[in-house]
Amino acid sequence: MDFYLNALGSVLSAAPLLAMVGATLLGVFIGALPGLNPVMAIALLLPLTYSMDPLVALGMVAGIYNGSMYGGAIPAILLRIPGTPASIATTFDGFPMADKGEAAKALKIACWSSAVGGIASALALMTMGPLLARVTLFFGPAEYFWIAIFGMASVGVMVGSDPVKGVMAAVLGLLIGTIGIDNLSGQARFTFDQTWLLGGLDLIVVLVGLYALPPVLQLAEKCDLKGLSADQLKLTNVPFAPGEKRGLIPTWLRSSGIGIGVGILPGAGGNIAAFLSYNAARNASDDPDSFGRGNPQGVAAAECGNNADNAASMIPALSLGIPGNVVAALVLSALTIHGLQPGPQLFHQNPVLVGGFMMEMLITSILIFALGGAVATRVFAQFQRLPGVLLVPSILILMCVGVYVINGRPVDLWVMLAAGIAGYFLEKVNVPLAPIILGMILGPMAEQSVRRALLISRGDATELLTRPISALLAVMTILVIVWPVAKAMRRRKRQRQS
Amino acid sequence: MEKRQDIALGLIFVLVGLAAAWMASRYSGASGTYPMTLGLILTFLGGTVAARAVRAGQDKARQLVAAPSKFITTAVIAAVYVAAVIPFGFYTASLMLMLVLPVALGFRQWIYAVIVAVIFIAVVYLVFSVLLEKPLPREAIPPLLGLGG
Repeated sequence: MDFYLNALGSVLSAAPLLAMVGATLLGVFIGALPGLNPVMAIALLLPLTYSMDPLVALGMVAGIYNGSMYGGAIPAILLRIPGTPASIATTFDGFPMADKGEAAKALKIACWSSAVGGIASALALMTMGPLLARVTLFFGPAEYFWIAIFGMASVGVMVGSDPVKGVMAAVLGLLIGTIGIDNLSGQARFTFDQTWLLGGLDLIVVLVGLYALPPVLQLAEKCDLKGLSADQLKLTNVPFAPGEKRGLIPTWLRSSGIGIGVGILPGAGGNIAAFLSYNAARNASDDPDSFGRGNPQGVAAAECGNNADNAASMIPALSLGIPGNVVAALVLSALTIHGLQPGPQLFHQNPVLVGGFMMEMLITSILIFALGGAVATRVFAQFQRLPGVLLVPSILILMCVGVYVINGRPVDLWVMLAAGIAGYFLEKVNVPLAPIILGMILGPMAEQSVRRALLISRGDATELLTRPISALLAVMTILVIVWPVAKAMRRRKRQRQS
Repeated sequence: MEKRQDIALGLIFVLVGLAAAWMASRYSGASGTYPMTLGLILTFLGGTVAARAVRAGQDKARQLVAAPSKFITTAVIAAVYVAAVIPFGFYTASLMLMLVLPVALGFRQWIYAVIVAVIFIAVVYLVFSVLLEKPLPREAIPPLLGLGG
């Protein structure tokens, strides 16, 4: 309890509060604009947080994350265009509701459900995170090595449709992570006699390129010259009917549980949480046929599920140093920017920061109630009148300024451009991008841990497998890789038999 | 289509993996072992992707670029913008980008584009140069006109 009370004082000071309010509003705006997503926004924001207080920077990350996950529902309901991938399931009942003239009601349900899911998720993070971190105090280099490998294997296998390509992307990320001077021996690796490569490729530069440029290129390809008309964005405020909120409570409870469970698993994301929650709500309903035709329970389930994933995805990131999704990876990057080492020691070395970030996830979820209401929704929906072709150069400029201010080197702009174009084509050939970033983050941890473990055991490699926790983690890693392959082989065998 | 793309993808990763393993083999001691192992794993995985594509019977169509002309236009203008940032200065290059790229993509409402460009650049200037005081590439044209950079 002291852990949170100490953090609360720091979080409730003026600068972090202002950052959270501003970032939550910005998040709703970003989510409301199709083509922009929280990953891109946080990636663009990170370089600017170098000179900020860490709690202010993390408050902005929390606000953008929670705000944009709700903001994605605005175009999903009004236009059947999901603002973020996590709001795809919201279109199923949100758009039919808007079609029946109930757009404002659908948006209100989405706002409340997002806030409820976010609050439940933040509470799960605040209770489970410290417990998990206490367990990890028993971990040595061998365990950290397996944690890094397990994190990458699970993300590589679970993200995307092809496990082999996922693992291939993770290995590529690991290899990119070796560029620069080796900390243990001083050997320069893959630097091609370029001094700017001695420190390695900057994670944020690669990340901005990989995640922000492909959507910009896709936006340019769509070539939206008009934007939306004012008539399409007309909304009126509608209060809840008596008993309507009570009717949504079982859906909120169920979807929160699903979202939290999905969030903790590395590799699964808000879109999976939303789909699972939506299906669970339909299965539990007395009238499943009404789903897909404008049932408010469908909107509530999808939005609550995708926001309940948010803070829960930080549980493995903060307590183990394994980012479960890209936003969690970005949070770890933000911590690294401020000279902090993600992982279990973080809870003991910087309790105010970790506790503060958890409270910020909770506060920004509560802020959605206050800031995501009808007025904000109506205001932000108006930005959809801006033609897509004007957004393309605007985002490019933000990317460049964000990357340039990190090191003040023009070469970083070219690295970002190259990473972005590579990312665009890799995505097109079904190579997921998240494992590349995770490989870059976890690679140095994996390498240094394995080399330390071998130094301690005087070169005895069995040390990596004979300790009980490391053996368990090794078995889990093998299962994570083998399971989808075995499943695919079984499916193929069944197809051949039929 | 998909088959050829996967064969090419697999072979690219094989080449990257082999090159990395070969370079890492020249590094001293333990600092070379780890990247060499990664290079060899990458070679194996790339080979698996390519071999699987060769063995696959059906060849589904997979569009690599949805609108090639728009893609190339945007990529080339973005590259020119990056190249222009240092010689022309950040705000001059950015203003040119805001005006040229929408027009190159087919946007013909000039006044609308100019208004959005001016407002956007002004906001970026206020946030990055005034509020955050971030050092950005110096402007080349305003000093020539006696306006200061």
